[in-house]
Amino acid sequence: MRDQIRDSVGASVASPLAVRGATLKFGGVTALDNVSITVRDDELLAIIGPNGAGKTSFLNVTAGFYRPQEGRVELFGQNVTGLRVDQIARRGIARTFQGTHLFAGQTVIENIMVGRHTLMKSNVIQAFFHYGPVMREETEHREAVEEIIDFLEIEPIRNRAVGTLGYGLRKRVDLGRALAQEPSILLMDEPMAGMNAEEKEDLARFILDVREARKIPVVLVEHDMGVVMDLADRIVVLDFGRVIAEGTPEEIQKDPAVIKAYLG
Amino acid sequence: MDPSGIFSTSYRADRRLVRTRWQAAALALFIIVMLAAPYLVSGRIIAVLNMMLISAVIAVGLQICTGYAGQINLGQAAFMGVGAYTAAILASKTGLTFVLTIPLAGFAAALFGFLFGLTAARIKGFYLALTTIAAQFIFHFAVLNLPSSWLGGSNGVTVPAAELFGLRLVTETQQFYMNLAVAALMVAGAFGIIRSRFGRAFVAVRDDDVAAGIMGINVAATKANAFLIGAFYAGVGGALWAYMIRFVGVDQFTLFHSIFFVAMIIVGGMGSIVGALVGVFIIRTIQEVIATVGPNIADSVSFLGGDIVFAGMNVILGGVIALFMILEPKGLMHRWNILKSSYRIWPFPY
Ligand SMILES: Nc1ncnc2c1ncn2[C@@H]1O[C@H](COP(=O)(O)OP(=O)(O)O)[C@@H](O)[C@H]1O
Ligand SMILES: [Mg+2]
Repeated sequence: MRDQIRDSVGASVASPLAVRGATLKFGGVTALDNVSITVRDDELLAIIGPNGAGKTSFLNVTAGFYRPQEGRVELFGQNVTGLRVDQIARRGIARTFQGTHLFAGQTVIENIMVGRHTLMKSNVIQAFFHYGPVMREETEHREAVEEIIDFLEIEPIRNRAVGTLGYGLRKRVDLGRALAQEPSILLMDEPMAGMNAEEKEDLARFILDVREARKIPVVLVEHDMGVVMDLADRIVVLDFGRVIAEGTPEEIQKDPAVIKAYLG
Repeated sequence: MDPSGIFSTSYRADRRLVRTRWQAAALALFIIVMLAAPYLVSGRIIAVLNMMLISAVIAVGLQICTGYAGQINLGQAAFMGVGAYTAAILASKTGLTFVLTIPLAGFAAALFGFLFGLTAARIKGFYLALTTIAAQFIFHFAVLNLPSSWLGGSNGVTVPAAELFGLRLVTETQQFYMNLAVAALMVAGAFGIIRSRFGRAFVAVRDDDVAAGIMGINVAATKANAFLIGAFYAGVGGALWAYMIRFVGVDQFTLFHSIFFVAMIIVGGMGSIVGALVGVFIIRTIQEVIATVGPNIADSVSFLGGDIVFAGMNVILGGVIALFMILEPKGLMHRWNILKSSYRIWPFPY
């Protein structure tokens, strides 16, 4: 798909995700103010900013939960502004949530299998009779899910109801479910928040491994600047709904506007 | 969780419904008893079993819609009615075989249910409950107000016996085998659906529709599909009902009946196919006991009058259901699962 969407010169490739001039208002509150962020191939982009800066709003606009009053969202050069959440998801965006949004009534395996939903093709009549092809499809996708379970080192809990798991493990299942979608872009909303140091370290390792294995861009939203300094290739800083800085971790660390936003 | 010593050696084995030798033996015994039932028990009991089998089809459909997909549905009896009338009209006017009228009844009900499912995309909870109650009223209004040459109006429709290769299924035993076959197929199909991507999508939409959307699941379409499938089951059950009673009338498909179907899945346990079957068994048994002892009580306390006694019986039934909701709100299957897993991991508490 990427190869098809070259620009008129035929040289460069459309970026996986580009948000252009997005403005999102809730009544009097401006959550995003003319925000433009372009995600490059295979990069780990961190979006940081104080609480209420508009980070979650940015992800919500990107994933189609909110439609911006102005601006547009492009996936691989295609305008997806105004599409439904599930339509955008099927075009290759996966997202993990701030806090957890797991399916409480299902086991770990079932939760991750839900991620395969749109990759599976059987129809409801085939499901009713549950004969050969349906069984084969289930087995095939179960194998993919088991690979993810191995990768995330959650084999011992695969049959547990997710409601019985601790926070760190739930976040891993959340990540597993997103990976099961085989996305072209992975968005993560404050995955480290609420974790202890060890859990943070584990998750950081998984995120790096995901990039390595999947070769997809990862957009990591974080409140805590320290967490992303070692991970990110590039950082965008939001404050009061505006992009106030953009650059490598070293550049961001020295940026006076960033220091001011975080301290004052 | 499996008992210790049971390990699956392939993903296919891991998905099997029947997992232990005991389960296989219990299932085999159950099937044999059901097949032999007409030779083991009286005709009266067979009539009760017929009622249970038909109710099972309808309650399992409701379980998919409400228990799995989380969509409140107080119109299941109306969907059943659409199926019953479809089968009745097709059988009496076109002479079509039941092999075709039963699925067609399912499709007609599914279409009707789907229309209400579309509204479920926008509304939840109490308002959805009201909308599904509207299904009851629309059904009644249509039957009573359309020209009586179409749906029989308040006179109802008489249904010819189901026929298979010239054999008319008129006795309770003959109907029992037809009901048993259809119910077995529908229950097996329900297990197929809930173990598939559709069943997982239903639970996903029920538990967290925001997360379901990001998984690429079309939440509105999934809710509408839950109604479609639930209503299909109701329609098939309605068709069986029509062939058993050999007469359909609007009074057989009221809000009151819908509430009983809801009671069945609550008593048995939400989100469990077996739970729906257990609920059907318990509610229908209580109803049967009341219908049996009611007249005796009415005779012995004749000064109270039969009406009061029967009203009192319904109050008792309602009370039993209310008691269940208070003491065992997650249903009997939930209690059973707790017992089973605490037995398997004993003596450790987790
Ligand atoms: N659904 C909403 N309704 C009203 N205001 C909202 C909503 N979502 C976010 N906001 C407001 O938008 C601003 C940005 O919020 P958010 O994107 O959640 O920030 P962050 O994730 O950076 O902490 C805040 O002022 C917040 O109160
Ligand atoms: Mg946030």
